[in-house]
Amino acid sequence: MGDDILSLEAIGMTWDADRGAGRTVLDGVDLRLGRGEAVALVGRSGSGKSTLLHVAAGIAVPTAGRVVLVGHDLGTAGEEARTRLRRDHVGLVFQFFHLLPHLSLRENVALPGWIAGDDHARTHERADRLLGRVGLLDRAGDAVGRLSGGEQQRVALCRALLRGPALVLADEPTGSLDDRTGREVMDLLLDLTRQEGGALLYVTHSRELAARADRSWLLVDGRLRAEAAA
Amino acid sequence: MTRYLWRVIARQLHRSRTLLGLTVLGVALGVASVVAIQTLNQGSLLAFDGSVRAISGQADLTVTGALPTLPESLLPIVLGDPDVDGAWPLVRADVAVAGRPDLNLDVVGFDVFAPVRYPLLDAAATQQDPLASLTAALSQPGWVAVTPELAAAEGWAVGDTVTVSSGSRAKDLVIGALVDFRRFEPLAPRRLAVMDIAQAQESFGRRGRVSQIDVVLREGTDPAAAAARLQAALGPGARVQTPEQRRQDASGLLAAFRLNLTALSLISVFVGVFLVLTTVQASLVRRRREFGLLRSLGATRRQVLGLVLGEAAALGLLGTAAGIPLGWLVARQNLQTVSATLTSIYVTEGIDRLVLPPTVVVLGVVIGLVGALGGALLPAWDLARRDPSRLLSPLAVHDAAGRGAGRLALGAAALAGAGTLWFAAWGHGLRFGGFLYGFVLMLALPLLVPAVVRAACGLARPGGFGPALGLRNLRARLQTSSFAVAALAVTVSMMFGITILVGSFRQTLVTWLDVTIRADVYISSESWQRTGNDAFLEPDVLGTLAGWPGVVSLEEQRRLRVATVDGRPVWLNGLRLTDRPLPGVPQADLAGRLPLLAGSPEAAVAGLRRGGVLIGEPLARKAGLGVGDTLRLAGPRGPVALRIDGVSYDYTSEGGTAFVAMDVLTTRFDAAPPNNAALFLAPGSDVEATVDALRRAFADRPLVIRSNRTLRAEVLAIFDQTFAVTRTLQVMALLIAALGVSVTLLIQAHERAGELALLRALGASRRQVFGLFLGEGTAMGALGLLLGLGGGLGLAALLILVINRTWFGWTIRPAWPAGDLAVQAAVVLLVAAAAAVYPASRARLAHPGQLTRDDL
Repeated sequence: MGDDILSLEAIGMTWDADRGAGRTVLDGVDLRLGRGEAVALVGRSGSGKSTLLHVAAGIAVPTAGRVVLVGHDLGTAGEEARTRLRRDHVGLVFQFFHLLPHLSLRENVALPGWIAGDDHARTHERADRLLGRVGLLDRAGDAVGRLSGGEQQRVALCRALLRGPALVLADEPTGSLDDRTGREVMDLLLDLTRQEGGALLYVTHSRELAARADRSWLLVDGRLRAEAAA
Repeated sequence: MTRYLWRVIARQLHRSRTLLGLTVLGVALGVASVVAIQTLNQGSLLAFDGSVRAISGQADLTVTGALPTLPESLLPIVLGDPDVDGAWPLVRADVAVAGRPDLNLDVVGFDVFAPVRYPLLDAAATQQDPLASLTAALSQPGWVAVTPELAAAEGWAVGDTVTVSSGSRAKDLVIGALVDFRRFEPLAPRRLAVMDIAQAQESFGRRGRVSQIDVVLREGTDPAAAAARLQAALGPGARVQTPEQRRQDASGLLAAFRLNLTALSLISVFVGVFLVLTTVQASLVRRRREFGLLRSLGATRRQVLGLVLGEAAALGLLGTAAGIPLGWLVARQNLQTVSATLTSIYVTEGIDRLVLPPTVVVLGVVIGLVGALGGALLPAWDLARRDPSRLLSPLAVHDAAGRGAGRLALGAAALAGAGTLWFAAWGHGLRFGGFLYGFVLMLALPLLVPAVVRAACGLARPGGFGPALGLRNLRARLQTSSFAVAALAVTVSMMFGITILVGSFRQTLVTWLDVTIRADVYISSESWQRTGNDAFLEPDVLGTLAGWPGVVSLEEQRRLRVATVDGRPVWLNGLRLTDRPLPGVPQADLAGRLPLLAGSPEAAVAGLRRGGVLIGEPLARKAGLGVGDTLRLAGPRGPVALRIDGVSYDYTSEGGTAFVAMDVLTTRFDAAPPNNAALFLAPGSDVEATVDALRRAFADRPLVIRSNRTLRAEVLAIFDQTFAVTRTLQVMALLIAALGVSVTLLIQAHERAGELALLRALGASRRQVFGLFLGEGTAMGALGLLLGLGGGLGLAALLILVINRTWFGWTIRPAWPAGDLAVQAAVVLLVAAAAAVYPASRARLAHPGQLTRDDL
């Protein structure tokens, strides 16, 4: 327990819970992630996967249960505190990359460092190092609009890992990519996260990609039913 | 389609009420600027008109003099004309009311038996014994009738005694009746008062003289022919005019004043156009697919264009509906200062009542609609000309803006270049050339904005979550950012241009005062100070002053309103020249006090002694006169030709001013005693103590006694007051530009919802997002300042060197009012930042869970 990066205990999430008959998205979810561990989350659309990631990131507050992120109980933290915890301990990867088109590759990667007020030179040095590891250093000054989907997601991976987060949350990171590119990106995501010593929780539709995780869970109607395969 | 239009308007009003509310407010402020200025402009003319109609409303012709008064012996000549049905003399005196520093009465003395329809007789008729009232008017010393409005305001009742003064002469008037001039002339000034002509002549030193003779012609008589015949019969000392001619004279006198305010108010409208442009552009980008769908369903380009313009027209009408009453309120708020300017600088009728003429309402509606449609036309046309498939596809509007920035900058350079060539070749010779050139420059400035914003923001190298990132964001949203920056740039140009003009003018004025105001103590009368009209210092006052301990020289000055032979009004000043230099008082030497633009001081003084004239710069410029030329004035016995021995800087009036020796004024213009006196004290005298002692000695006389220091402060206070309305216009334009910043950032908060959600997801706090938007607003302010500084310098040069000289005739030495400009720059930045507060508070609410696949 003490080594857990993320601990979700009996998480429940009901939309419009205050209006009586709300829609239950998550129901009694328990999940733990240890340092360096990779866990995949599989489920159909609308099963609550993204909501679970939002809860884990402190973006959404569950209506029931307890979320502990690197020893901090998110339930007792205010909005500002949750934002700071997310900033300092979580890296996010999105299905649609979400890079800022008016910033260069390097600047997009450096963005979390800017937000955190990190040292400028060190941030850019780290951004360049990460870009070098995904093979995009020579294009660090380019605008992101000129990149392919796979390249954009590689930049997004670098951004997520910039500050060496304890936890990387990836919401269908290969969902917008073709199979081959998706596999390449997934390889990078797993490798980089392990090298950086972070835990990874990712959502995917693909059984094949889920199989690459240390553990994988199936989310059905808001419940983590059974461990699918390891 | 009309039905759809109404539904769309209703939906937009509901969905985007804040955005549209701000835009409507911007349009309203633009309309209000124009309505306020036009109401005041019309008010200045209507005040004169109301006065003319109230006093001479029945007259077909009015005979006035080359001098302020005429001999009453001219009346029989007028009555002798076969086409004259009736004529009556009037005596007018602008008198100060004791104890009421802001109140003066326009006393009209008339013959109670004349066939003139004054409400005095109506007032008498309502009383029990009408004859008693008329008898009292003739027999009771100081009997006067005032308007009920004034009586109510001042708490006067019939039977009360009011002390008034004309020059150093005080007179007790008794309120004998209340007469309502507004019963037959709604615009009659409330300060009108009537009394018997003989009493007026006696009370105010006009014995044997009248101010005007009003003439009624027989039915069917041609007024122009009758006027010409009367003019010939009365000689050069008289001037025969129709009421229309008198109105035109007043209108011409105020032309420059009115035109300048109108031009400034139009800048607010111009700034407002950018606001509409921003809102319509954003609305169309957001609803692009809706229009694509309409086009797919068979709507024609014209219908789409009509739909968008219809919405803009609705915005314009809403803005106009709010702007007209707002303009009215602004006009009322500035009534006192504008009225004071009219009386102190132009010596014309002050405005004591405003009306909102239907023409101004129509103008407000037209301005509101044209501004809104003008702002919507470009984006509407751009939308209408596109194919439905293009409209339904995603749009990269800001990329397009980035590509167009260079072309627009080239257009700006071409426009400014062509304008400069035109002005250099032809425009400088045209009366409106300076205004047109200024308009072209203000048109070119916004075209330059996208390129400057792109270049300046491109220099930003974000190294953190700070201002550089904000600048990069502005560059990324060039389309909307540019409009807000353009609006700010135009506003700052206007602000800086006027501030540099005013600062330069003030500095020039101070220098001029240093040269001309050299005496230690100045004496005038209350009525002179307030009205500038005929008001004399009586001989006993002058005698006492001359003999006052410590006084080494008494300089008398007489100021007389005359006209050139072609009708140009001129203030003719008579100076009593000292025969010898005063030992120990070098500042009394006239030659040292002449701020000459042309000619030498010694030659000018010698010329004055020989009977020559010194003219002020405005008269020299406007009449095209110079040293060696002849100034031809209309005298009481015919034209008076005076050789011009010098042209001096003069800032007392934008009309003509001329200086002659006092004996010229006395012998050739029948001048009465002086209006003002200046005292030079022995070296080492305590000036303020002397002023206090003089005030005590003349406590029972309506005199205004001021030290040099006080007089200078008062002159500068009047100067500052003159530009009060200009400051109001600056504030209104700045408010509109600030609304532009708010609207732009609100639009961006909406457009950039995905980006903001991402930033929040990556750990940006709400405070950081708030700060980012605040920084972007401030950056817009800074860019507006940068561009506005350039525009302001150009505008200032144009105002000082061209427009001012053409329209006012004053030389203003350019100065750099660094303090004022720094304060204004800080205000612009603060206002821009303040304008960003509301959008920033909306942006900070972005939730990290709001990211969708379409974002970014």
